[in-house]
Amino acid sequence: MRADPIRYDCDTLCGTWPARAELDFRPAAVRAKLTAAGIETGLVCSGRGAWFDDVDGNTETLAAGPGFLPVATINLRHALRAEAELDRMVAAGVRAVRLFGPLQGCEPVFPGYRHVVDAVLARGLLPLVEGDVRGCWPAFADRGARVVFLDVHAYHVADFVLLARREPGFVASTRLLNAPDSIETVVGEVGAEHLVFGSRTPLHDTSPATLRMRGARLSDADWAAVTGGTLEALLEKP
Amino acid sequence: MKNHPVIDVHGHWGPWFFAMDIGDVAENLRVMDEWGISLQIVSASEAVTYDAPGGNAKLAEILAANPRLRGYLVANPNDPAATEADLKRYAGSGLFCGVKIHTGYPRREISSPQMRDTFALLDEYAATILIHTWGGDVLDLPGLLAANPRLRVIAAHMGANRWDLAAEAARGCDRLYLEPSCSITDAGQVAHVAARVPATQLLFGTDATLIDPAVSFGLVEDAALDPATAEALYWRNAAALFDLAAPAQAAYAAR
Repeated sequence: MRADPIRYDCDTLCGTWPARAELDFRPAAVRAKLTAAGIETGLVCSGRGAWFDDVDGNTETLAAGPGFLPVATINLRHALRAEAELDRMVAAGVRAVRLFGPLQGCEPVFPGYRHVVDAVLARGLLPLVEGDVRGCWPAFADRGARVVFLDVHAYHVADFVLLARREPGFVASTRLLNAPDSIETVVGEVGAEHLVFGSRTPLHDTSPATLRMRGARLSDADWAAVTGGTLEALLEKP
Repeated sequence: MKNHPVIDVHGHWGPWFFAMDIGDVAENLRVMDEWGISLQIVSASEAVTYDAPGGNAKLAEILAANPRLRGYLVANPNDPAATEADLKRYAGSGLFCGVKIHTGYPRREISSPQMRDTFALLDEYAATILIHTWGGDVLDLPGLLAANPRLRVIAAHMGANRWDLAAEAARGCDRLYLEPSCSITDAGQVAHVAARVPATQLLFGTDATLIDPAVSFGLVEDAALDPATAEALYWRNAAALFDLAAPAQAAYAAR
């Protein structure tokens, strides 16, 4: 099993989380969990933005501190101010945006969702997308989009591979690719440029994702890509 | 690798209908070796999802050739006659040590009359049952156990997204056991359960080869259990429940 550092985790959270009020979402506590798991940098987003207020949430995210790369969120239920908030975050140096569609009750076909996707892609930001990839992919298709789908499940590997074959920028998080061969299948079918490591710390336990990643039967180059290089390339300005 | 045996009480053999190349028993043995699993108790995926007697028969042949595996006979709650025939067919074979019941594929809830009748049938055989639980249905198990005093039941996935309810169900029912296998990796679930349920009722399951054992090992590791509780969970409780102490220790010593 590999002991190398995992350079990037695409899926970490801070702030508070009302459904799991007993968990410690303070940045220092999250940072400690990531460090213990050998994860160098977490792409982090505040739960405040997901649940309640995107502007205040994004300000909270920007203050997360060292060891994090801040990720904006946009309230899909209040898309009228999306562009102004995205511009504010771009000016602050943010390179990625997380869309909490299922948590906010917003389907990819809703006008607000479509508007936000257009605004995100127009600014060259990387969307990190929650929800079933089989339903949310059309909002990003046929436009050269680079997208990380955070909830691709082992059960949906066939659908994701078929999408990735036609969309070079479609990327899955490893978190739910938990069959004994699903990480290997995605890399084997479409390449390590379609996969990035994610754990959803601290909402989820960290070790299920890290142990699976560390045991993945990949070449050194592919393992390095999934745990860092692929995400680094995605975050470069187009 | 642990410095003691590990018994996986929730395994499968055979292919699934997803894009996975995992049907061969060699994959069971590969993940067992990778993770230091001494013994694995498996049900046939075909039996769980479609044809219980047919899948059970195929699994019997696999079990006979693979001494590190033990079997669950799958009971379809819609077909009690087939369940009873299989119980009689394999009695004394030494291949099967429990009964697996799903709720989703046969579309029968734990609260259904068909499940009530199946549990009553299995009570005559003093069976140990591994049953799929998801959400609040785990709360229906203590009542079924009260009505069937010879049964012992493992709540698979420990309620999945309602592991809190699984803890409630098990803390007052000493014949109800919990195992953590699941895609849902909610933080702290194993620690929550272990703080509320007697350590004698905790078991280790992986759902392999549908799910990689990394997930369940990770869930347990993040719970930071004390060493005695961890050993109870990883193997001692299962060894007592299924009378597997000697073969588990032998498999561990031979690794």
